[in-house]
Amino acid sequence: MAKTAEQIRADLLRPLVRTSPAYWFAVAVAGSMVLAGVFAFSWQVYHGIGVWGLNWPVFWAFDITNFVFWIGISHAGTLISAILRLANAGWRRPVTRCAEAITVFALSIGAIIPICHLGRPWLFFWLVPYPTERHIWPNFRSPLLWDFVAILTYLSGSSLFLLLPMIPDAGAARDLVKGWRSKLYGLIALGWEGTPKQWHRLESAMHIMAIAIIPVAVSVHTIVSWDFAMTPVPGWHSTIFGPYFVVGAIFSGIAGLILAMALLRKFLHLEEYLEPIHFDHLGKLLLTFSLLWLYFTFAEHLTAWYGNDTAEMNVLWATIRGPFAPLFWAMVVCNFIIPFPILAIKRFRTITGACIASATVVIGMWLERFLIIVPTLENKFLPYSWGTYHPTWVEITLTVAGFGMMALLYLVFSKLVPMISMWELEAGVRKAPIYRRRAVHFDPQHATAKAGLAEADVSR
Amino acid sequence: MTHKWAMVLDLDRCTGCEACVVACHAENNIGTAGPDQAARGRAKHWIRVERYWEGEFPNAKLRFQPVLCQQCDDAPCEPVCPTYASYHTPEGLNAQVYNRCIGTRFCANACPYTVRFLNFYNPEWDKPLHLQLNPDVSVRSVGIMEKCTFCVQRIRAAEIQAEGEKRDLKDGEFNPACVQTCAPKAMVFGDLNDPNSEVSRLARSGRSTKLLAELGTRPNVNYLLQDSGKNNG
Amino acid sequence: MKALYALYSDPDAAQRAVNSLKLSGGALGIAERQIVVVSSEPFDGYDFSDEHAQTRIFLLASIGGIFGAILGLLFVRFTQLVYPLPTGGMPLTPRWTNGIILYETTMLGAILTTVVTLLITAGLPHLGRRLSDPEIWHGKILVGVTDPPETARPELEKQLRLAGAAEVKTA
Repeated sequence: MAKTAEQIRADLLRPLVRTSPAYWFAVAVAGSMVLAGVFAFSWQVYHGIGVWGLNWPVFWAFDITNFVFWIGISHAGTLISAILRLANAGWRRPVTRCAEAITVFALSIGAIIPICHLGRPWLFFWLVPYPTERHIWPNFRSPLLWDFVAILTYLSGSSLFLLLPMIPDAGAARDLVKGWRSKLYGLIALGWEGTPKQWHRLESAMHIMAIAIIPVAVSVHTIVSWDFAMTPVPGWHSTIFGPYFVVGAIFSGIAGLILAMALLRKFLHLEEYLEPIHFDHLGKLLLTFSLLWLYFTFAEHLTAWYGNDTAEMNVLWATIRGPFAPLFWAMVVCNFIIPFPILAIKRFRTITGACIASATVVIGMWLERFLIIVPTLENKFLPYSWGTYHPTWVEITLTVAGFGMMALLYLVFSKLVPMISMWELEAGVRKAPIYRRRAVHFDPQHATAKAGLAEADVSR
Repeated sequence: MTHKWAMVLDLDRCTGCEACVVACHAENNIGTAGPDQAARGRAKHWIRVERYWEGEFPNAKLRFQPVLCQQCDDAPCEPVCPTYASYHTPEGLNAQVYNRCIGTRFCANACPYTVRFLNFYNPEWDKPLHLQLNPDVSVRSVGIMEKCTFCVQRIRAAEIQAEGEKRDLKDGEFNPACVQTCAPKAMVFGDLNDPNSEVSRLARSGRSTKLLAELGTRPNVNYLLQDSGKNNG
Repeated sequence: MKALYALYSDPDAAQRAVNSLKLSGGALGIAERQIVVVSSEPFDGYDFSDEHAQTRIFLLASIGGIFGAILGLLFVRFTQLVYPLPTGGMPLTPRWTNGIILYETTMLGAILTTVVTLLITAGLPHLGRRLSDPEIWHGKILVGVTDPPETARPELEKQLRLAGAAEVKTA
């Protein structure tokens, strides 16, 4: 497929200036979902949190489900960008920017949800550690503060991780795209020139960011899981939550990424850049994580069942056999039974197959978050505190608005920024003479090492 | 001497009349949920009386168990509050500071006894019931968590009175509303740091147990219950 | 800024151009820092690129991480002791929970220091005039000399062409 630099830039800058009616339609749909969410939130602030379906004892339901879900989706970018960069896997090149964009947007949505779910949302800023005349600071022993610091770190890190490689592309867009956009790209490009010194600094910075962002991502979702694990109630007080949530997050993140890539491929006509091989690789990763997810789910439930603790068994039966059984088994079908054959059998691991598997995984992982939260809260220790939960239109609207917000942010982003990192793609197409100077050519016949020119093809 | 407030509930005496529940509502300005909200599970009973059947007919036995905030020494609801709305006072009470609460509801989820309640709406009282509100107790607005405080307003009033009169508090000088109202005298309140108080004495008795003690919360509410084999009451 | 430059289609030619400019630079009155290379992608493995590879950014990021840890420590220790409110029988500054916050602030410090170092050492934002040519974005490498002395121009042009450039331009 060797595309020239000129072709790459033309193909990837074209969506910035040409817009189809389908785009405006999508923006209208996503925009109205977001507006509905704004209306629902205003309704909630005006009338009180009682407009939600929450009650005693189920004090968290859709709100925290969505929070954990979106933070989970955000792990896509980290895995692809950072880990594959460090492993120097060439196939990551067309995929990094869309993955990083998912991370930043999903994190932003995930960060807004805790503000919206408060009983008194106008006081959310009390979670921010700043000196006040009350002389009181937030409680750093609370997992919610750990959430705040972790999400702040991760959001800063992933925003920068998205923006840094955008600088050279903004430089290209500044010079190649005419009109008002040129000024916008000029701002993002920060006067980027493209000297070797700048390239080296940028690559070193991204190397460090890649190393730093992986442990941050792992810690973020572990800390989110500790919102549950730090309480002594049955079903939540489990040490497996940390790794379980991280695996689930990466799982849902890959699924989200596959879906986003498929949509971009279709609507931005990137068929020659996002090829079936990319979906094949990501599909294999998704398969791995489906198996991992199954393993963790089995381990968690087996431990509860084998231990036979009364309160734990009560929650377990409520989930597997009781009122939540339909949702539980739907989750297993969505997370394993449908994706496994599609992704394991090469004939089915096509772009369409990967998309079907990803869509079911996204649904299944949302259900998984819900099933972690609500059955426990409905079935705590004392039978008199057992209850039931039903969502109201406000919560459903806010959930839908979250998806609408993601779509809207992505649509706007794809119109302003080339969705594939042009310079990285170009660097991958050219044969990089990494071993040019330093290669040692071993001649078995003469059994001596002599310096020579060994050209390595590290494209793809 | 610092006090350590505790309560003893004698389950062998409790008749399940629920006068304590009504008294608590009256004393602490707890809004009535109404039939619709109560059906949705929004009723706020800082103290509730749980009824359990034991055994099978014809040997079925009824046991009533009032459950209120246990004022745990190692309360799981305290460290999880991001704004310190829930913290431990020097007198052993788990305090709920209404103005610091932003309604994350983490404390309610962490509480194993499920004794914490949220104000889902701004409370309203039909006139003229608003005249019955207790001026010593805040009225909590929407989004704020609340729970039993051992009638801290009565504790503070008595302490201030005693301080003004330059004397110590006497055992039984004052009681929370529920203890005051209990007709079968199943509820006792007092200072655990005073070895001679009624509460200390009863807490040391052979019938004394604690609810969900195995969780390590170290509650300060003791339940007195004769072993179910011996007592046919 | 006046400049004389040429565009090359492959990095070997660009390397030849840079080599010859450096060799003859002294005689023509051109300092090494006046020799500029601009490209649309990084060219690791070539001398004209790798000679700029030395960087202290890793050390600086680590120091930034330490600063982040110190700042985090100030938050979790001293803010909690200023208005001490015991919760759940836990100590006011438990090492476990403090460790979590310290970990995050360390990483944040390292990340922010990295970005600041990048901006400073790469000279961003660069507000002055840039040496650029639209052909760069079509894969060509620009090798040029900024502010060349007038007397040296013909010789420089010759060298740039010899290395393999199709045309020599002025900015």
